Amino acid sequence: MKKLTLIATLLIVSIVVNAQENNQENAGQKLLSNKNNGVTIGGYAQIDYNEKNGHDAGKLDVHRLVLLFGYKFNDKVSFLTEIEMEHVKEIYVEQAYLKYKATENLNVLAGLMLVPMGIINEFHEPTTYHGVERPNVDKYIVPTTWRELGIGVSGNLSEVSLKYQAYIFNGFKSYVGGIGVLRGSDGLRKGRQKGAESVISNANLSTKIDYYGVPGLRLGLSGYFGKTQTEDTHIEGSQVGVSMIGLDARYKYQNLELRSQYITTSLTDTEEYNTLTGKDLGSKLNGFYAELAYNFNLKGEEKLTPFIRYEKYNTHAETEGIVANSSFDKDEVLVGMSWKVADGAAFKADYQIVNNAVSGSDAQKTFNAGVAIWF
Amino acid sequence: MLFQKFSILFLSLLFINVSNSSKKLEEKINNEIKSVFQLETFQKENIEVSEKLKISLQKDFVISNFKKIKKGDSNLGFYYVGKAFGKVDYFDFIVIFDNNLIVEKIKILIYREDHGGEIRSKRWLKQFIGKTIFKELNYPKDIVGISGATLSVKSMTRAVNNVLKSVGILHKNEII
Repeated sequence: MKKLTLIATLLIVSIVVNAQENNQENAGQKLLSNKNNGVTIGGYAQIDYNEKNGHDAGKLDVHRLVLLFGYKFNDKVSFLTEIEMEHVKEIYVEQAYLKYKATENLNVLAGLMLVPMGIINEFHEPTTYHGVERPNVDKYIVPTTWRELGIGVSGNLSEVSLKYQAYIFNGFKSYVGGIGVLRGSDGLRKGRQKGAESVISNANLSTKIDYYGVPGLRLGLSGYFGKTQTEDTHIEGSQVGVSMIGLDARYKYQNLELRSQYITTSLTDTEEYNTLTGKDLGSKLNGFYAELAYNFNLKGEEKLTPFIRYEKYNTHAETEGIVANSSFDKDEVLVGMSWKVADGAAFKADYQIVNNAVSGSDAQKTFNAGVAIWF
Repeated sequence: MLFQKFSILFLSLLFINVSNSSKKLEEKINNEIKSVFQLETFQKENIEVSEKLKISLQKDFVISNFKKIKKGDSNLGFYYVGKAFGKVDYFDFIVIFDNNLIVEKIKILIYREDHGGEIRSKRWLKQFIGKTIFKELNYPKDIVGISGATLSVKSMTRAVNNVLKSVGILHKNEII
């Protein structure tokens, strides 16, 4: 019994010592997290105003409100989830995965995760990019926010400044309930299953390597390979093969910011798919953008950042068995301003001019304004 | 009786576990010091300060984590082990100073979360080497960031600034 008392005393002492060590945390952090386990709360929001062509009625929208919850079980095991409310009333689970840190350079992750492709899909918090809305390449070519259920590994190799990620994911659904869901205007976007009672017939591979060994520069190479999912693999033409490759670069020098991204997607068997479903899915989808921004420091942490972005994207860059629809071949110029009033809060405004390749068509001009929050 | 034995076993296991993780950190600290000063043995010495001076230090600066590195009678330098917050978790880092209070080495000892682990890059941490207590570091002017790891980059820069400032106060008060 004496032994037990001694051990209990030691345990209490060690807890007290531990508590004292934690004095270095500030009140907020102490509340949310402690040394060995605990909850972290965060979130982001994007509230927009869009006005098309200057005379049409505008649209006001709480586009996204996302709440992040992290729970740390111990130094190796943690769970992270993001609950998203889109347009106020649509609720989604955007991420929900368990992380196990196997070694200093290797994490094992499983659950609902973001597919690493290009920049925005992984880094989509609205204060981290310019423009009220996400770039359109990251809507029509990379179907942001693209998340699926899967398992994978990730880690940073600090000696060589590399980050690697590799996952086996469930893929896009292409054929469910006897109808095709993929189409020409937005490619794979409608096929996202988002982890909701998703159909799986074929696993997909997703990888990304990022290199950040040159100061200020980060380069990414992403790849996604596999097949879409169908309810019945015996139905010929109900699946298409997907190969997506992305290159991205971000460069920051003092107050100057540059970023660029190129994504190319090749789809196979689209002719059979379109014949079966009556859809107009393209066989090659390409997208590119380049952006230049400059931060003017205002008082305190406030910053005013004018920027310009050029985008070009085409969901019918190539087609099989159907004539390419040139209204899907678009380019746009976006000029605007971000006024960061705190580290995680900004007011944004921009003007967007979108052209398509249909001869004689008018450019679509949109004024956007919004609020961006990340905490 | 069985319950008692079981409790002892359980609690001892708990202790082994706890001491193991702090032992591991201590081992990492020792390895860094050994590699910087290229020696096999050395001593660590606590730095005593008055309560009044303690208050004037940066809020996040834990004086018991700041130590003098000695070999016999000669002073080699100082080190500080601190914590900073990334996106959802803390990471542990070490700053090693030479006798002139110039940063000799900086390293992330433990990085726990998946996000922001880029700051463990040797190439990136190199920027802090040679910095002194006399000048505050500014992001992005003095410290170049890493896109995609901005939270951890800013947090680390802030944490190092806190260390530099506090060590500066200790120096000004002729403690070191």
